[in-house]
Amino acid sequence: MSERLVPIKFRVNDRQNEIEVRPQELLIDFVRERLGLTGTKRSCDMEICGTCTVLLDGRAVSSCSLFAFELDGKDLTTIEGLEGPDGLHPLQKAFIQCGGFQCGFCTPGMILLAKSLLAENPNPTREQVCAYMDANICRCTGYQMIVESILHAAKEMKSRGS
Amino acid sequence: MSAAVGKNIERVDGYGKVTGKAAYTGDLNIPGMIHGKVLRSPHAHARVVKIDGRKAEQIPGVLAVLSRENCQVATPYIGAMIKDQCLVAFDKVRYAGDIVAAVAATDESIAEKALAVIEVEYEELPAVTTVEEALAEKAPLIHETIRRARPPQYGRGASYIVHDKSNICHHFRYQRGDIEEGFKASDFIFEDTFYFPSAHHYPMESNVSVADFNREGVTIWASTQGPFGLRQEVSRVFGLPLSDIRIIVPYVGGGYGGAKGLVPSIIGVALSRLARRPVRVNFSAEENFKTICQPRAKIIMKTGLKRDGTFVTRRCELFLNAGAYVNSTPSVAEKAGYRGHGPYRLPHVLTDAYAVYTNTVPTGSFRGFGGPQVAFSYESHVDMIAQRMKLDPLDLRKKNLLTKGEDFAAGDTPTDCDLKGALALVADAIGWGKKDTLPVKSGVKRGKGIACALKDGGGTKKASHAIVKILIDGSIVVFSGSVEIGQGIQTVLQQIVAQEFSVPADQVRVNEIDTRYTPFDTATNASSATTLMGGAVLRAAIDAREQLMQSAAAAFSVPRTEVEFDDGSILCREQRLGLSDTMRLCFGDSGGEIVGRGFFQLPTDLNVPLGSPTLFWEIGFGAAEVEVDESTGAVKVLKYVSLTDAGKIMHPVQCRGQDEGAAIFGLGQALFEDMVYENGRLMNPNLVDYRLPRFRDLPPEFKTILLEEGGGRGPYGAKGMGEGGILAVAPAICNAVYNATGVRITQVPIKTEKLLEAMNDRS
Repeated sequence: MSERLVPIKFRVNDRQNEIEVRPQELLIDFVRERLGLTGTKRSCDMEICGTCTVLLDGRAVSSCSLFAFELDGKDLTTIEGLEGPDGLHPLQKAFIQCGGFQCGFCTPGMILLAKSLLAENPNPTREQVCAYMDANICRCTGYQMIVESILHAAKEMKSRGS
Repeated sequence: MSAAVGKNIERVDGYGKVTGKAAYTGDLNIPGMIHGKVLRSPHAHARVVKIDGRKAEQIPGVLAVLSRENCQVATPYIGAMIKDQCLVAFDKVRYAGDIVAAVAATDESIAEKALAVIEVEYEELPAVTTVEEALAEKAPLIHETIRRARPPQYGRGASYIVHDKSNICHHFRYQRGDIEEGFKASDFIFEDTFYFPSAHHYPMESNVSVADFNREGVTIWASTQGPFGLRQEVSRVFGLPLSDIRIIVPYVGGGYGGAKGLVPSIIGVALSRLARRPVRVNFSAEENFKTICQPRAKIIMKTGLKRDGTFVTRRCELFLNAGAYVNSTPSVAEKAGYRGHGPYRLPHVLTDAYAVYTNTVPTGSFRGFGGPQVAFSYESHVDMIAQRMKLDPLDLRKKNLLTKGEDFAAGDTPTDCDLKGALALVADAIGWGKKDTLPVKSGVKRGKGIACALKDGGGTKKASHAIVKILIDGSIVVFSGSVEIGQGIQTVLQQIVAQEFSVPADQVRVNEIDTRYTPFDTATNASSATTLMGGAVLRAAIDAREQLMQSAAAAFSVPRTEVEFDDGSILCREQRLGLSDTMRLCFGDSGGEIVGRGFFQLPTDLNVPLGSPTLFWEIGFGAAEVEVDESTGAVKVLKYVSLTDAGKIMHPVQCRGQDEGAAIFGLGQALFEDMVYENGRLMNPNLVDYRLPRFRDLPPEFKTILLEEGGGRGPYGAKGMGEGGILAVAPAICNAVYNATGVRITQVPIKTEKLLEAMNDRS
C-alpha cells in the first residue's frame, strides 16, 4: 500500500524549504519530527490548550489540528525562529525578566501567540491581552506574570520603534 | 561583590525555555528508539480470564507484546506507600483504564494497530465508585491483601489503625486532650459536612519516559519529580542493584505532585527488555487523566466553642476516595488529618482520616497534599459558625488563631509566622468591613470573603544530599537531585552558592540530574527544595569553602586560623587571592578540585505526632471579592489577595510566581475542576470536557503579599512555598459567595445551576 506523497514549498523561520509530506501527516509531527523543531510542544491534542501554537503567515494556529500539506505556499514561524542576530526577541526577554514562564512547556506557544497579538495590536490593554491570550493554557504561572511580560514587551517594542 | 540572594537574577532555565532549546523527555531521540503503547481495561472491575497477544506479535513492526503471560519480574507490584499496582494486570483490573498489556513497535500507529488485536477475556465484577459504596456492607473487596511496606512510625497522639478485609487502605488518627470533655465544656456545638473534588494535575507535558534495558543495566530518561524513588521502584520490580539503574531527568513540563514518570518508566523498561531497543512511552492527554488524580474528599467537622467564641474542641472525620491504586494517598490522609484543626488553638482534637479504595482512577499526592481539602472545610466551617453566633468572621478567627511561637501540636515546630498580622494584611487589602468601592451594577450581587490556612511544609523525614565542587579555574559546579519543575530551584541553588562564595551567579553551574552522578534526594515535593536541598547545598558550599581555606593555609604554610574568606577572595596575612589563583596555588599545574559535601534532614522524634518535626509552616491566607450573576448564578472573582510567608524571599519574581500559580490552581478547584464518573467510567478525560483556569479567569485585581519573617530552617531563614497559595482560595471564594448571596456552598467546584436555584429559593 504505497501512499502518494505531496510536494510542498514553504518558508520556515525565514528560510525557503521544499519537501514531500504524507497526506495525513499532522503539522505538529512534521515540525517536531521532520524539521526537528522540538520547541513546538504537544499537550491536549484537540486545539484547546494552544501549547502547539505556531505562526502561519504571522497568524497563530494550533499545529496539532492542521495537516502538514497546509503549509504549502505559507510562511511558518516556530519559537526557534524568534531569536535574531541581535539576540532575543523583546517578548523572549520580557518573559525571562517578568516571570512569564515556570516549567516552560507552554512558553513557546505562549510567546508566539503574544507575537501574533502584538502584530495586530501593538498597544494592548490588560483586558485585551487576557481576551486574546485566552486561547492558550498555562498550568504554572497563574497568568498574571505572562500578562505583565506581554505588556512589558509591548512597551519595549514601542520605545524601540520596532 | 553584590549578594545574589534576594535578587531577581536571570533564571538558569530562562534562555532555553523561551527559545525552545530546553529539551524535555518527549523531545529526545535516542538511537534505535521505538514506541510503546498500552492497552487499557474498558471495565471498572473485572477478572482477567484470558489474554492472548499472539496476533499482535505477528504484525510487522511490532517488536514486543507485554502481558502477564510473559512479564517476568522480581515483583509486579509498584506503589509509593502500598505496593498495590501491577505494571500490567495479573489477576484483576480495578478501574476503567487499568493497564492490561503493552506493545512496542517501530511507530506509534503500528503499536496502536497491535493493541487492537490483543484478545482479552474479562469476567466482570461488581464495582464501586464512591466511598459510601466502598464502605457498604457486602461491598466488593478491591484488593484482597494490602501490601504495606511497613507500618508508619508515628509519634505522640498519632496512630495507624489496621482494617482487615476492608476497602480502607489507610486509617490515620490524631488525638489530643479529650473531645468528650471538650464538648461538655462547650456552650455551642456546630457540625458541618464538606465535599472537595477530585482534580487532575494536568501538567502540560504528559507522562513520558524513554527506557533502555541492556546488558549494562537500565537507563531511563524520565519526566519525574522523584528520580531516586523511581530508581528504587525499577530496582525492586526488575531485581537490579541501584547502581545498574540510571535515571536522567531532562526538563520537566510541570508536575504538581502527580507521580509523573513512574508508570511509563516501568512499562518502558519491561518493553525494552523484550524488544532489546530503547522504548519511548508517551501517554496521551486522555491517558494522563486515567493515570492519577487528587483523591475526592468528604469531610465532617464538629466544633465546640464558648459563648465568647473561644474554640474548645473539634471532631473531624475525613474520607478520601483513594481510587484503585493509592500511590501517596495514605500519606495525604495522614497530612490532611494532622492539619484538620487548622491554624487555631484547639485543646481537644480527635481526627480520623480514611483512605478508601474504589474502582476509579488511581490517586496520589496533589499540590497542597490534603491541605486544600481540609482548609476548604475548616475555613467555611469557621464562617458558618460566625454567622450562627452573629460574630464577625474576622474577629472569630483573630480570637482563636495561633500566635507566633505557639505550638500547633505539642512537640512539633512552633508556629513560625505572625498569623494575626497576616490576617490583618489580607483583610485590609480586600477592604474588609469597608463599603464596596466598585460602581454599582444591576443584576449582580457582590461580596467579600477571607480564609486563613496553614500546612506543615517540607514533607516528613525527607533527606537531601548535595555536592559543590570548586574547579581549578575557580568556577563552581553544584550536584543536586532537586528537579527543576518550573519552581526555579536551579536558580535558587545557584544564588545560594554564589552568595556563599561572593561570586557572580554565572560562575556557578547547577548540573542536570543523572542518578549515576547526582547524590541522593528523597524527592522534589512538599515545597521542600529551597529549604531542604537549599540547606544541603549551603552546607556543601560551606564545606568546600572551608576545605579551600585549609588547602590555602597548607600552601601558605600558615595555621588555618590565619586564613580568611572575604568577598570572594582568600585573605592570608597581607595577601589577597581570588578563587582561581587560590585553586592554582593549592593544586599547582597538575590540577585538582575541591569537593564539598552537604546533607540536610530533620531527625526522627517520636514526641512529634508525625514522627519528625515539621520543617516549616506553609502559610496560605487569602481574601476574595466576588460577583454573582443573579440570572445565571455565575461566579466571577473580581479581586483576589493571596498571602504567604517565604521566610526569606530568595528570588522575588519566582516567589511571586509560585504563589500566584498556586492561587489560580486553587481557583480551578473552587470553580470548575472535577473528574466526573458515570457507571464507573470517567466522562471528562480531555480538555474540552474538563475545564482548566484560563486567562479569562484571572481576577482583574490579583495581589500577592509575600512576608519575609525569617523563621524557616532553610538558608537565611527561608521556608518553602508553592502550595500555600492554593489553600485559602476555595473557602475565601465560597465565603464571599455567602456574603454576596446568603447561599452557603459546602461542595466545590461551585455548581452554577445549584447556586442559582438556592438564590431563587431564598428570594
